[in-house]
Amino acid sequence: MESIGSTSRSVAEHAGQIGGLLGASFLSLVRWKVSRKEILNQVYVMGVQSVPIVLVTAVLAGIVTSQQGGYQFTGTIPLYVMGSIVVESVVLELGPVLTAVVLVGRVGARITAELGTMKVSEQIDAFHSLGRDPIAILAAPRIVAGVLVVPVLTALAILVGIYSGLVSANLTLGLGAESFFYGARLYWHSWDLVYSLTKALAFGFAIPLISVHMGFRTQGGAAGVGRTTTASVMFMTLTVLILDALFPPLLLQ
Amino acid sequence: MIRYRQIHKAFEEPVLAGVDLVVHEGEMFGLFGPSGTGKSVLLKTTLGLIIPDRGDVLLNGESVFHGDPGALDRVRRKVGYVFQHAALFDSLSVFENVGMGLPEREIRRMPRQEAAKRIWEALEIVNLDPRLVLSKLPAELSGGMKKRVGIARAIVGRPDILLWDEPTTGLDPVNTAAVERLISRLSRELEVTSMIVTHDIEGGLLMCNRVAMLTAGQLRFCGTPDEFRASQDPVVQSFAGRAGAEAALDNQLNVV
Repeated sequence: MESIGSTSRSVAEHAGQIGGLLGASFLSLVRWKVSRKEILNQVYVMGVQSVPIVLVTAVLAGIVTSQQGGYQFTGTIPLYVMGSIVVESVVLELGPVLTAVVLVGRVGARITAELGTMKVSEQIDAFHSLGRDPIAILAAPRIVAGVLVVPVLTALAILVGIYSGLVSANLTLGLGAESFFYGARLYWHSWDLVYSLTKALAFGFAIPLISVHMGFRTQGGAAGVGRTTTASVMFMTLTVLILDALFPPLLLQ
Repeated sequence: MIRYRQIHKAFEEPVLAGVDLVVHEGEMFGLFGPSGTGKSVLLKTTLGLIIPDRGDVLLNGESVFHGDPGALDRVRRKVGYVFQHAALFDSLSVFENVGMGLPEREIRRMPRQEAAKRIWEALEIVNLDPRLVLSKLPAELSGGMKKRVGIARAIVGRPDILLWDEPTTGLDPVNTAAVERLISRLSRELEVTSMIVTHDIEGGLLMCNRVAMLTAGQLRFCGTPDEFRASQDPVVQSFAGRAGAEAALDNQLNVV
């Protein structure tokens, strides 16, 4: 009972702090206190620098989907259905979720560790003491950049995942591009792409928001930075998976 | 003038338990005490970096915690804070770090050359050669240089009050003496009110007009350096003696 109470308190505390961070970030954006240069810098760090790992993940996701689909369905259903399986899997699930999970590790962990180190070395206090707002300088640009780059990275991952699935289906199953896209078109709904990019937008918002929040909460020197970064990665991964589970009943009915 | 009124602060346990203290205008005030007695916590309440559970701080008569919503911003513009480990921004050059000390509103109106001149002057005041350090990152500086850049950042905004949080911690005896001379000179030349938290009792007694000692979250002593030396309070005597011995041992180890 006591443990449930303490967990509830902790969840309420996190929720309150995240709400405060969100409100303050929004205010700093509305008041034009956020540097456009810093947003562009974060777009480069979070977006451009993440392209290689996102593309590698997407290529592998496309190949694996295509090969496992081929293994399961060859001889039981027409091969062109593979086109639909690959496209729908990559668009609806693998593109946005794998991109988000990769970004949790590459971007989220980095933000928490960076801000956590700034917190324990009193750099955040230094911003306050100099009359500067660390939320406008550190938090808001990262949240804006996340919202901007994650849908773009997801769209890239979808394109590359589908292409790699097509190539893999062609090489292993002998399925031609025409048949692949014929199958894909049979079950295609344009809404699926909207659904996928909306999910990516939600992930792009949640990852920097949680990582910044956890960074600002860091205490206890280098060990504290390690602990908080680990907790942050767990927190972000769970949030991505929970959001992923919430989207179908909300947008796919 | 800084006035602390009945400052109470507890984290898991009480740290400050009703501290009343006045630092007069133009004074160089030293705050001593064993580790964990709340010296840095008290210093941080001055700027609202830590918010007390009860009590208030008044800077030149203006309440930090019970004033209007803009009080904290106004207070922060009047005060320069020198952090224990300099707290320089890792990703910014020395030029940008010191530039962060210029008030945001002034920067918008200030020509770029004027801002550069102020940064250059601040670095010269702390005995750093701007040509050598301006473009360097904090990671490329020695411990003593980082402290000086931290001091330059605190003074570039021309504050009325300077707060020093253990400015000589982690320095060798040569750098400690140099930084202490710098603190004395700056407080005199800039005509600011200074409050310094330090473990270096001998250095503190030489620099300060008045000193105080915190133990168990309360003020144990407040008076002139001569009164501190002559105090018959066994706790003050014991702390002064032990701290002196530790400082001597530190010096020996550093020399070795």
